[in-house]
Amino acid sequence: MWDAIGVVVFVVIAFPVYWMIASAFKPDHELNSLTPTWFSLHPTLSHFGDAIHRPFFWDGVKNSLIVVTVTVALSMVCAFLAAIALAKFRFTGRKLFIILIIGIQMLPQVGLIIPLYVVLARYHQVNALSGVIVTYMTFVLPFSVWMLRGFLLGVPKDLEEAAMVDGSSRIGSFTRILLPLVAPGLVATSIFAFITTWNEYIFARVLLNDQAKQTATVWLSYFTGTSRNTDWGGLMAGSTLIAIPVIIFFLLVQRKIAFGLTTGAVRG
Amino acid sequence: MKVRLFAVAALVLTLAVAASSASARTNVSGRAAASKITVWLQVDAQTGWPDLVAAANQAFQAKHPGVSVDVQYQTWGDHLGKFDATLAGGGVPDVIEMGNTEMTKYMAAGAFANLTSQKGSFANSKNWLKGLAASGIYNNKVYGVPYYAGSRVVTYRSDLYKKAGVKIPTSLAAFAADAKKLMAKNPRKGFSPVYTAGTDWYFAMSFVYDFGGQIAALKHGKWVGQLESKKSQAGLAAYKRFFNVASRASKTGTENRPYPYDVYSQGQAASIVGPAWFSCCVGKKYTKVTKQFVMPSHVKGQGMPGFLGGSDLAVPKASGDQALATDWIRIFTNTAGEKGLQSKGNIPNATNLLGNSVNERAAKRSWFVPTAKNWVNVENGNVLRTMLARILTGKQSTKAAAAFADSNIELTLNQ
Amino acid sequence: MTPSELPGTAYAAEAGIRPRRRRPFTVARVVRGAAPYLLILPVVAIVVAILGYPLYHLARLSFQKYGLFELIAHHGTNVGWANYSSILHDQVFWHVLVRTIVFTVANVALTMGIGTLLALLLTKVSSVVRVLLTAGLVLAWSMPPVVAVQVWLWMTNYENGVLNYTLTKLHVGNYFQHDWYATPFSQLSLTTSLIVWGAIPFVVVTVYAGLTQVPTEIVEAAEIDGARPWRVFWDVTVPIIKPIFLVLTSLSIIWDFGVFTQPFLLIDQTRINASNELMGVYLFEEGYLKTDFGRGAAISILMLLIVAILSIFYVRKMVRMGDEAR
Repeated sequence: MWDAIGVVVFVVIAFPVYWMIASAFKPDHELNSLTPTWFSLHPTLSHFGDAIHRPFFWDGVKNSLIVVTVTVALSMVCAFLAAIALAKFRFTGRKLFIILIIGIQMLPQVGLIIPLYVVLARYHQVNALSGVIVTYMTFVLPFSVWMLRGFLLGVPKDLEEAAMVDGSSRIGSFTRILLPLVAPGLVATSIFAFITTWNEYIFARVLLNDQAKQTATVWLSYFTGTSRNTDWGGLMAGSTLIAIPVIIFFLLVQRKIAFGLTTGAVRG
Repeated sequence: MKVRLFAVAALVLTLAVAASSASARTNVSGRAAASKITVWLQVDAQTGWPDLVAAANQAFQAKHPGVSVDVQYQTWGDHLGKFDATLAGGGVPDVIEMGNTEMTKYMAAGAFANLTSQKGSFANSKNWLKGLAASGIYNNKVYGVPYYAGSRVVTYRSDLYKKAGVKIPTSLAAFAADAKKLMAKNPRKGFSPVYTAGTDWYFAMSFVYDFGGQIAALKHGKWVGQLESKKSQAGLAAYKRFFNVASRASKTGTENRPYPYDVYSQGQAASIVGPAWFSCCVGKKYTKVTKQFVMPSHVKGQGMPGFLGGSDLAVPKASGDQALATDWIRIFTNTAGEKGLQSKGNIPNATNLLGNSVNERAAKRSWFVPTAKNWVNVENGNVLRTMLARILTGKQSTKAAAAFADSNIELTLNQ
Repeated sequence: MTPSELPGTAYAAEAGIRPRRRRPFTVARVVRGAAPYLLILPVVAIVVAILGYPLYHLARLSFQKYGLFELIAHHGTNVGWANYSSILHDQVFWHVLVRTIVFTVANVALTMGIGTLLALLLTKVSSVVRVLLTAGLVLAWSMPPVVAVQVWLWMTNYENGVLNYTLTKLHVGNYFQHDWYATPFSQLSLTTSLIVWGAIPFVVVTVYAGLTQVPTEIVEAAEIDGARPWRVFWDVTVPIIKPIFLVLTSLSIIWDFGVFTQPFLLIDQTRINASNELMGVYLFEEGYLKTDFGRGAAISILMLLIVAILSIFYVRKMVRMGDEAR
């Protein structure tokens, strides 16, 4: 019974995605026809061809991959360390740090575009992938710290204490006990960081000038940025292609989400 | 404990101070001899006429060996945001393409270099299209070089017109009568003889200008809204009458949702009003029967003034080498370049280059928005759209809706 | 036991010395004391280096008149509280604020409610359906907002949208040429559907990750003891996922309050006006489209304060929760 409900929910949630992918295969006249076509009987690959042959497609994908993997990797490490400090230690300035973490997320990003550009220009980080990486980290770190702290707090204290009785040092207990327990949280946070940075548009647009350095989402914006007609089929095809790395990342890490306590972390 | 806290705080403060002191030196580009100029063109050039850009670059590099041209294509939605960021933080392009309605605000703020003394050096400058050239002039100084223009035409289904026994109308009244005939022959639900969105102010204001009215006028240094004037009112009334006869579009709808050419390609419109390039996207089924004509005026025999869209090229004041930048523009907009743009379906920037395409004939009578530095705020505030929606839905009388719009316009333009 | 292994006071007593109050200054203690600061250092360094000046600049801007002219001149004129005063006296600001609060409450409630239910559903379905459902969620999650908006527009198209077509065919009513963007309520409802659809995957995945932290032995033990599923959920599961729940709610409030991309793209600039603006859009219109950066900065600061007040309840709970766990 639950499975049936699950499938229905899947259909509802995935319908817009289905519509996007199906549209990528529809010939132009079906895209605009008066009666919607559920499934094209004359599917075409021309939109995919158009999208791939648009200038800087592969550059866009490459740059996005670089920016996102570096951002996520560095952010997860830094955020995890900070989350441990918040969850396990009591230190002066703790509340201040929390205010900093929360406060930054409350800032409307739209308001920060120009001041941020000015700062990065002075460090010569404009039109550089490193500038984008550092900007993304600044926005990813706060919520990552906040989320990981939440997961760390959820770990039952007795497990940690049991580990320490076992003779492991504090650092040892972190790596051998805590890390596997927090793995699902770490994975969830990293997926969120991955997707948010993958789809980020505004700062990438403002900071990167050379089309060869632009990320995939900026590349995508050129479809709708013209004053003439928009190539909707190409846009849908381009979007479908760009979603592929995200899916691959998810498939790689999704098994870790259900990495529960049953895998021998607990003794007795 | 406290010592450690201070140590960390000191470290943090040092970083902050370092960051802000690094910022003490303002970074306005002032290269001695440029080895590269940066040109911002819109993506329309990348997809439409990349060969013209390449040709201009080649000619430029032949004339200035050792100087390379970096053309960076921008999108209409955010190129101004990017421009603002560079104005604040450095990295301003040497040449920038601006939409003609975008120019005034930036000219008034002192963003561009004064090109008045060099006007004569640009090809065909004596014959620049009045409507387009006006967008590059502020306080009688030239800041923008006309790049290309586009006018509005009627794109129609010659097969449907033939079937209804309708000829190309030479007056507004004749067009309205034609619309009735087309409606009678095509009684399909939702079919429009002339599909035009209710709040398409580019089209609606053409009626106002056709009857001799205007949106706003500068009187004694202050902007005064003119939509309540008798002539403007006549134009608005004519628009309402025409819309009710000819279009089944949403009265509150806009001209980008749905796109008129999509409605046309679905077979739901016999004609649409818009830029000439609409003919690209009418669908395979109707491409062969699609033709264009100039929107007729209420006065028989002439065309209704069409909104002249277009782009200018300007040199930001903070550019590293204004002379080189100006030279690039000179090369790009020379007669050969303009003729190249014309062959791609655009309207070239000078009257002596005009040909006989429908697009160019329509440009003979044109109108442009008030050249006020806050005009963009009126557009963004959707003042005219709100007025048209109220008029068409009958929520307010034409006079009352226009009065409200006028007061809004005056408030915004005179700020 | 050697004297050095005795607790300090006892040793001192043995040695006849008055016990000193200071704790021994060993290397281990220094490291442990400095540990939290070293742990948070990377985050603090990056955030301060990048956002330090922009934040200061934003605050300063809010007290200045700073339009395009001033931007080019790199110099604004000080106007004190004028920006704040003009915003707080603007009727539109207050309408937008109330509208945004209602919007936020609706969005957060729907996102957290549906998200949690789906997370629970994930624990009940077979592994095949679980992977399918999670894949669907991640696909939805990964759609760039620009593309999602476009798909929404197609589905709700005036002329040939799937929604109008299906509703008419199912005889729910006559939806031929129904304009889904005619009224602010309709516009904002569609925006809500878009945002909630995009936000649910995050909640589901995160809550599900939290649910997997629930020790199965305890759950089984409770069930063997005869506790009903609802009791088990309430007494065992909820305390463990409570921190995550609070985190998600606080983040959702913050994000939904300041949301900009979805309403701006979906309703479209040509239809945005005072009756359907949300705070994020209001900020963009007043600060950026009108190129009044001083006013925009003031609105940003006000938004920061307001959302801080709105989320304070959840944030304090989160902070206290951390304290209790010690």
